Amino acid sequence: MKLWLAQVVLQLFLALGLSPFVSGFIRKLKAVLQNRRGPSLWQPYHDLFKWVRKGTVVSQQASWLFRATPYVSFLTALMVSLMVPMVTAVVPLSYFGGVLAVVYLLALARFFVALAALDTASAFGGMGSSREMTVSALAEPAMMLSIFTVALTAGSTNLSFMVQAALQHQERFLSPSHILALAAMFIVLIAETGRLPVDNPATHLELTMIHEAMILEYSGHYLALVEWGTALKQLVLMSLLVNIFFPVGIGGALTARTVTVGLIAYVVKLLLLACVVALVETSNAKLRLFRVPELLSIGFILAALALASSFIF
Amino acid sequence: MFYDDIELGTRLITLMAAAMLVVQFLMVGQRLLPTAIRLFSLQSLFLACLAGTVAYVNQARHVYIAAALTLLLKVIVMPLFLNRILERATEKAEVESHLNTPASILICGGLTLVGYMVAHPFIKPHERGHSTLAVATALFLMGFFLMMNRRKAISQVLGLLTAENGLFLAAISLTYGMPLIVELGIFFDVLIAVMIFGILVYRISEIFDSMDTNKFRRLRG
Repeated sequence: MKLWLAQVVLQLFLALGLSPFVSGFIRKLKAVLQNRRGPSLWQPYHDLFKWVRKGTVVSQQASWLFRATPYVSFLTALMVSLMVPMVTAVVPLSYFGGVLAVVYLLALARFFVALAALDTASAFGGMGSSREMTVSALAEPAMMLSIFTVALTAGSTNLSFMVQAALQHQERFLSPSHILALAAMFIVLIAETGRLPVDNPATHLELTMIHEAMILEYSGHYLALVEWGTALKQLVLMSLLVNIFFPVGIGGALTARTVTVGLIAYVVKLLLLACVVALVETSNAKLRLFRVPELLSIGFILAALALASSFIF
Repeated sequence: MFYDDIELGTRLITLMAAAMLVVQFLMVGQRLLPTAIRLFSLQSLFLACLAGTVAYVNQARHVYIAAALTLLLKVIVMPLFLNRILERATEKAEVESHLNTPASILICGGLTLVGYMVAHPFIKPHERGHSTLAVATALFLMGFFLMMNRRKAISQVLGLLTAENGLFLAAISLTYGMPLIVELGIFFDVLIAVMIFGILVYRISEIFDSMDTNKFRRLRG
């Protein structure tokens, strides 16, 4: 029980502390790749601190939904981050639910954010939530199918079991179906975290924004909660990809040594993935909105093929 | 992590074959010709690495030559050549196809399944490199589909080249190295074919101001 509590607290602090850093790292790397100096690595922390101190402005027409949404989105992201293996294969909330709970808790947060964007009746909010729903309706099946491919090989949808099975039978996990699933999962990661070919996280240009359009009305500590929740969601999706497909170095048991090794391996893998994301963002132009479904349909077909080929072989 | 060299080699071969399949899907979904050429180059790079692995695992020295030739011709020379044609042709560098992208991708997904089904009777479960044949068949079918679906002559050439990549993959994964003379023959065949196609495409775009093969009806007397 004591061990469990310690693990919960540690993973909470790790997720909360690391998630802004990953965002900052990608931003900095993108700047360097584009021959800019870019903001410092700690800028997301400064931003969060600034927003927490500032007052909030809420539209008079906004209902309770607008005020509740930041808490919902932040808390669901925080809860999900306790259900995904990060440093060890043993997850604090392992018996609460498997990967289905992870996916649908994220969907719950998205549902609330989209509703809150509609709530203030600003034109941008409605546009943003309509776009977000379009993208997520296409990205979610691809994500489910690619995770199911791994779950099928592992024989369980419980993420702890999946990672442990991947650790024991690494040779089974390097099959073509997993490469297809990995490619699909990467496309989903790009779409769900609002990265460049799909959405531009660094712009407030009305024609192109998706996620930014939804949270345009938020300010002060509400904005801090929403942004931190987004960073947490990004961390969760990246950990999912990194730990399910490359379970190298992740500890099976809870000892001081495995936790240390696992922590180092985890951070290194995350930063490598962040480098890949930054490279993809720098080398691609934003897709026209009507072309986004084409990219996502590639992801979906890849994931469907991954699942089919794991049945055939 | 791995048991021995053979095991590791088989894993690597399957991995790279799968990576080639992923690149093929990206190529089907790609709209810009320069990027499509770059993707072809990437796919050939995977093929060259795969051939190198096959050569290493089976101690077949002449397959190294095939790998080196793939690296030289398909990764470097042919993409450069195609890019030069593209620069000379005064047309916007977009792939135009008969079907839209989601439909093409769906059909290619179906073709991959056909590839798996066709390859299934030929393989025993514990044979080495067992899913490579399926991937190769899928690449082959998708290459033909690309040739049928594209309107521009140059992207049809790209389709042919990817089909040839699939053929080479099948040959190398089934036989683990054909006689060198056969491989050399195939290589020069493809090289000459691409050269001729290149010149032809260039002349077509000079005469018709377009590489769209649908406009060739004007040739009728």
